[in-house]
Amino acid sequence: MTDTIKPSAGPSRGRYRVMVAARTLLAIFGGYGLAAIATAFLSLTLPLDRSEAVASATLASFAIMAGAVIWVFSARSLGRAAIGLALPALCLGAGLWLALGSAGQPA
Amino acid sequence: MKQGFRQSMAWLHTWAGLVTGWVMFAVFVTGTATYYKTDISLWMRPELRAEAEYDVVRAAELGVAHLKVHAPKAMAWFIGMPQADNPLIGAYWMDTPDGEIGKALLDPATGAPTVARATKGGDFFYRFHYELQMPPAVGRWIVGLCAMTLLIALISGIVTHRRIFADFFTFRRSKSAQRGWLDAHNVTGVLALPFHLMITYTGIVSLSLMYMPWGMVSVYKGDELRFYAESGQMTTWRAAEGKPAEPAPLGPLIRRAQAEVSEPLEMVSINNPGDANATVVAVFEEPHGLAHRHPQIAFNAVTGEIVERTGPLKPAAHAYTSFVGLHEAHFAGPALRILFFLSGLMGCIAIASGLVLWTVARAPKGMVRPAFGWRLVHALNIGTILGLPVGMASFFLANRLIPVDLAARDSWEGAIFFGSWLAAALIPLARPHRQAWREMAYAAALLFLAVPLVGWATTGWRTDFLGFDAAMAALALVFVLGARKVGRYEGPRREAARATGDLARA
Amino acid sequence: MTPLAVSLTCLLSFSGLACLCLSMDRHGRTLFQGRPSRQRDMAFRVAGWLAIALAFSAAIVTADWNFGPVQWLGSLTGAALVVVALMSYRPAWIRPAAIAALPLAMATAFFV
Repeated sequence: MTDTIKPSAGPSRGRYRVMVAARTLLAIFGGYGLAAIATAFLSLTLPLDRSEAVASATLASFAIMAGAVIWVFSARSLGRAAIGLALPALCLGAGLWLALGSAGQPA
Repeated sequence: MKQGFRQSMAWLHTWAGLVTGWVMFAVFVTGTATYYKTDISLWMRPELRAEAEYDVVRAAELGVAHLKVHAPKAMAWFIGMPQADNPLIGAYWMDTPDGEIGKALLDPATGAPTVARATKGGDFFYRFHYELQMPPAVGRWIVGLCAMTLLIALISGIVTHRRIFADFFTFRRSKSAQRGWLDAHNVTGVLALPFHLMITYTGIVSLSLMYMPWGMVSVYKGDELRFYAESGQMTTWRAAEGKPAEPAPLGPLIRRAQAEVSEPLEMVSINNPGDANATVVAVFEEPHGLAHRHPQIAFNAVTGEIVERTGPLKPAAHAYTSFVGLHEAHFAGPALRILFFLSGLMGCIAIASGLVLWTVARAPKGMVRPAFGWRLVHALNIGTILGLPVGMASFFLANRLIPVDLAARDSWEGAIFFGSWLAAALIPLARPHRQAWREMAYAAALLFLAVPLVGWATTGWRTDFLGFDAAMAALALVFVLGARKVGRYEGPRREAARATGDLARA
Repeated sequence: MTPLAVSLTCLLSFSGLACLCLSMDRHGRTLFQGRPSRQRDMAFRVAGWLAIALAFSAAIVTADWNFGPVQWLGSLTGAALVVVALMSYRPAWIRPAAIAALPLAMATAFFV
């Protein structure tokens, strides 16, 4: 995705722009979504006092988002990038759903 | 997009850096200035003379007396103690949890509103630094998004610049303009890299519960104050009972709190003032340490008994507050503060040189009319890199030149800041590139030089402003040198052809 | 975390980084006549890292584990900036300056 090979012809240039826009949107919303789910999941499940779990998870969340964004822009194709975000997000989301279900009872 | 990791990171570094560069340059410049916020505030209120020590009990009582009259219905009062570097009582109040915070600055001798000129002082840059003088919710999200993008630009920049150590000390000033900009970018970026990473990450963390509230929401159901209380950062909020009651005198409570904590008292807050369940909280300054932690002792305001003390922080909370503490560097003495300031300046230069590099590397060759994108970036570059300093210098000048008794004078100072910034961004559009840079740099130098001169002429010469005056003169010198450098610059002729290759390799 | 303690860390960092700079091919060659020698490069490299380690311990001793690392990293940044400036404007000064920084550091250490 370097600049040096940027196609200058009409249709492929348009395609390049669409691809950049798609990756950017995926990086922002996908990366944030993954980080948000991970933060909520870790806050509920880390074996610490709950205030400690929230502090640790929130501190780590931005590193998680940064990692996700780097992944989106380095993946070989947009599809791979999306799957790479969706899989962990689904796993964490399932875990979060379970954790939220048991959050009523003290662990 | 089938290229190596390093190439995609080079692409990411270039574009993430470009789109975030202008906002982050402004954030870095005003943030760096904020390391000397109290000095700026003192200079901007020349009517004030600091005393070595203040009677905190009297200050608290004066604050309460003012708030009783002006904010009787508030849900909380905060009274900031006067200090040697901020010789005013700050009386603040809050009517609703999310509402605007009211503010009055009082003379510690009389308790009357201060006679010092109305100005936002150093707080103007401080607030701009994370809110851009926009509505808080909007400004903070923009700054947060840009800071995150900068973090990405930093990480991808580290990956891209593989010869990080081979080029560690290299600054080839005699080679082509492009090499010079590239070296300036690398030197300021790499030498202060620990600072850049730290300041960007800790800056995001400082507002983390706004950006990433989902941990707090899922565990505390959105009760942010409870999270702060449980992690030992503040005492618990006690709800009002709804019945009025006469509060106990404040003085003995403050004395008892002072007997327990060795740090100076920073603030007294009174939650639900006038209520039967009102709470008085004594907030102390940060103990010696990295963490941004203010020990607190809470009293029942009516009976006067101690109801809560913040304890020592647990590890994660300690890490969390240390991140915030590192960002603010309140702990830094004069020498360490200079190093933080220097690192902040290097951050400004790294961003500015990166922005300029983008245009230099893509400069149109010969007589070709530059594309719209290039002209836009160029205009934004000069408008930000030189426009902001012009605005800041004008802001200082406005502080001395606007009549002291003008209505809404602090808003006028802000208007002049943005007005002159806008002018400095628009005028260069009518000028050829190179002249535009040179003229604006000279304009900035002239304005900065005028600041101490106008200061002397209007409010007299003072030894305690020596540091501020020297800093203004030094900035003027930097802009003169910059202008001369641009004057000698050869222009992008042959280098431009090599540009793209150089960048990809860098 | 007095100014003296910070200057001590800065001086040691400067000496160390200057040595490392001199040990690098590109910079060493511009300053020393004759062929670059492996031995000399090695000596500079060892001396450089030693001084940087010394700066680290000085920072820890004077400012504790709390601020020590911050003071050390800040000093390295400031010192590196001076090395770069000397390297590009007054390269001939860099060796005497690196040597002069050591007794100065010792004198500073005496007062900290």
